[in-house]
Amino acid sequence: MNALIILIPVTLVLIGFATGLFFWAVRHDQFQDLDTPEILPLMDEAPMTGTRYSETKEIAP
Amino acid sequence: MSADYAAWNRPALLDQVLHARRDGRAEVALHVPALDDPRRTVDLQQYLESLRGVVRVRVDVHARRLRITFDPRAVDLPRLLQACAACACPARPLRRECLDVPELRAANDSLKRLAVAGLFMMQAMMFALVLYLGVIDAVNASTLALFRWLEMLAAVPVIGYAAVPFFRRAWADLRAGRAGIDVPIALAVILICAASAWNTLRGHGHIWFDSASMLVFALLLGRHLELRARCRHQSVNAAASDAMPLLATRRADNGPFETVAAMELVAGDIVRVSEGSVIPADGILKSDHARLDASHQDGESRVRTAARGDAIHAGGVALDSPIELTVTRAGSQTRMMRAHQLADGAAHQRARSDSSGVGVGRFVAGVLGLAAATGVFWLWHDPTRAFDTVVAVLVVACPCAFALAMPATLTRAMTVLSRHGVIVTRPHALAALARADHAVFDKTGTLTRAHLDANNIDTFGRMTREQALQLAGALASGSSHPLSQAIVRASRGHVTANADHVEAMAGNGLRGQFRGRTVTLGRAGFANPGHDDDDALWLADDHGPLARFHLTEALRDNAHDTIRALRIQSIGIDLASGDHADRVAAVAHRVGIEHWQARQLPRDKYELVRRRQHDGHRVLVVGDGSNDAAALATADVSASIDGATDLARRHADILLGHDIGHLLLTRALARDAMRIVRQNRRWGLAWNIAAIPLAACGLVSPWLAALGMSFSSLVVVLNALRLGDPALAVEPPRHTSNMEGHTA
Repeated sequence: MNALIILIPVTLVLIGFATGLFFWAVRHDQFQDLDTPEILPLMDEAPMTGTRYSETKEIAP
Repeated sequence: MSADYAAWNRPALLDQVLHARRDGRAEVALHVPALDDPRRTVDLQQYLESLRGVVRVRVDVHARRLRITFDPRAVDLPRLLQACAACACPARPLRRECLDVPELRAANDSLKRLAVAGLFMMQAMMFALVLYLGVIDAVNASTLALFRWLEMLAAVPVIGYAAVPFFRRAWADLRAGRAGIDVPIALAVILICAASAWNTLRGHGHIWFDSASMLVFALLLGRHLELRARCRHQSVNAAASDAMPLLATRRADNGPFETVAAMELVAGDIVRVSEGSVIPADGILKSDHARLDASHQDGESRVRTAARGDAIHAGGVALDSPIELTVTRAGSQTRMMRAHQLADGAAHQRARSDSSGVGVGRFVAGVLGLAAATGVFWLWHDPTRAFDTVVAVLVVACPCAFALAMPATLTRAMTVLSRHGVIVTRPHALAALARADHAVFDKTGTLTRAHLDANNIDTFGRMTREQALQLAGALASGSSHPLSQAIVRASRGHVTANADHVEAMAGNGLRGQFRGRTVTLGRAGFANPGHDDDDALWLADDHGPLARFHLTEALRDNAHDTIRALRIQSIGIDLASGDHADRVAAVAHRVGIEHWQARQLPRDKYELVRRRQHDGHRVLVVGDGSNDAAALATADVSASIDGATDLARRHADILLGHDIGHLLLTRALARDAMRIVRQNRRWGLAWNIAAIPLAACGLVSPWLAALGMSFSSLVVVLNALRLGDPALAVEPPRHTSNMEGHTA
């Protein structure tokens, strides 16, 4: 039963970590749009980024 | 255009749109109509995020909104607006109030509570399982106590955080003297936990932290599903909230023109509207003549011509040339804003009559009375069992399955529908759609759409028809405008390459690069200056016109079949349009509608719906223009289709996507869903009625009651999942031509 002494605190730490991670994701709106991302890889053409705006683009340092 | 953006640096305007955060950063909400294209959305987001000074970009696709957090020292609002325009996603800042979306916050909050309830419920159950299996007994009493304490520890976040909304609402109900559904839930949770905590402290007796956690989780799940649907509704609403421009160009006292906020305008001001811009206020035309696109305002399918002295209305788009007008009504007094108010008023009235929950009070009072009676009886008869039986009665009586019946089924229905591109924004609309027995259709844009005849193209010079279609199709492929869509449909199979740098000029057309040359597509005044404007679309390059496309109004695919199928389901049908009588009559004849009305103003449509409702009908309205908004809002259930204006989308309960045939699919699914909801409710009620007497007699222990409750909820959810896709069972009509004689 000595295993319990170690394993139970480990579960508690893990679950606290999981909760924190989930809260972070909710705060960053990861669950707001669940419909669009799944169709993105199926789009016929590659994203237009980089070809069309190359002349106006400025990259943040 | 750049001068326009610079106006956004005026402090008076910045005050209205920027939210200054405490950390020195600023936040702004932008309305971006082009967000309906997912590819452009991704592009825009990546581009904005690469700008210096932009901290965070959040996109709400349904609301067509962007929220940008930025550092005002490194980047300013005009720069951000320019960046959006560079991505072919012109944006307009929204008022500061739009940054705060209470539904969104509520949905995020409920998601967090749901996650906590789920995670810690599983922990509590794990510890409880160990206790139930009895494996610890063999070891020693202190390990047993450890597990009981651990179970209590796991339940603390569930009770202390996840269940708080129930306690809060129950408390509010009690203070208001109401008996809401939350009162017995809160009471059951508190009683179960108090008893379990007491038993944990004294070291013997049963504990039910797992049951309490499960109860909280199941209820939170049902609430969250409902909240998410409401949130989506709010998003679609938000897309319409700022259809009016914020800026106007006003002539200062006999001086030059200056850019001011549209809400600063007063009657008598002289305003200039540049070509392709939205008219900011009602007024009298001061220029000699003007050509206006008012199709969204009054449903007229042709361009309207106005002469000096004519009244023109806010919301229309000035075509060809800049115009000047003398303002007669501005701000909330414009005809368009009054249409908003009419629609909002109608929607509000309906929301009040929507309120369900009648009879909940009596049910709750009955449950509480029964629990009290059980407690008194057992106290007198056998005090040691009084507490257990009271808890069992409360758990058994908790109408969990009953409460889940509607949200579980509707969520399933909405999932199936979203696979077909149908979005339901008001969950209870499906119930209303299943019951609807009368339908009112709009014509322009709803039953019909612009059609380009590929055989009727005039070409100039050495251009061939195929080349013209290829060029026009390449230009139009990225645009969601109904005319562009007509071009794309006609040019299918001809387009081999893409156009670059395509810009949309509102009200005029498209301009872009194709294999190194600049090509324009649009009305004559734009693509081929010097030529008189006609109803045709022109394609031109730097050297002159290349082709002319003739557009006609054609029935949408499936319009005919949809109307016929509805008639077979014995639904009465009206056609109400703002267009000319002869055009309305022609369409009515072709789709087989007997009752039609032409030249209908928004109020006429609204009153037509009211009349039908007065006759005892449950009315479905299908429309796409702002002139339909009031009718959409007052109908029992309303649907809108791709290309609808923001105002129409806002008041539609169901967005059908591109195919009007989806109306039949949605209705079939709605009827199935309602059948399953009725089954589920009967099951939930039967469960409660059967189990409550057993619990009151002391035959059900609390843990068995909790198990039964989860079982009945599970039955409800599984039954909801039975709701299949009607498209797989009955193939909906695809094309008008080859499906004659076949009914869905």
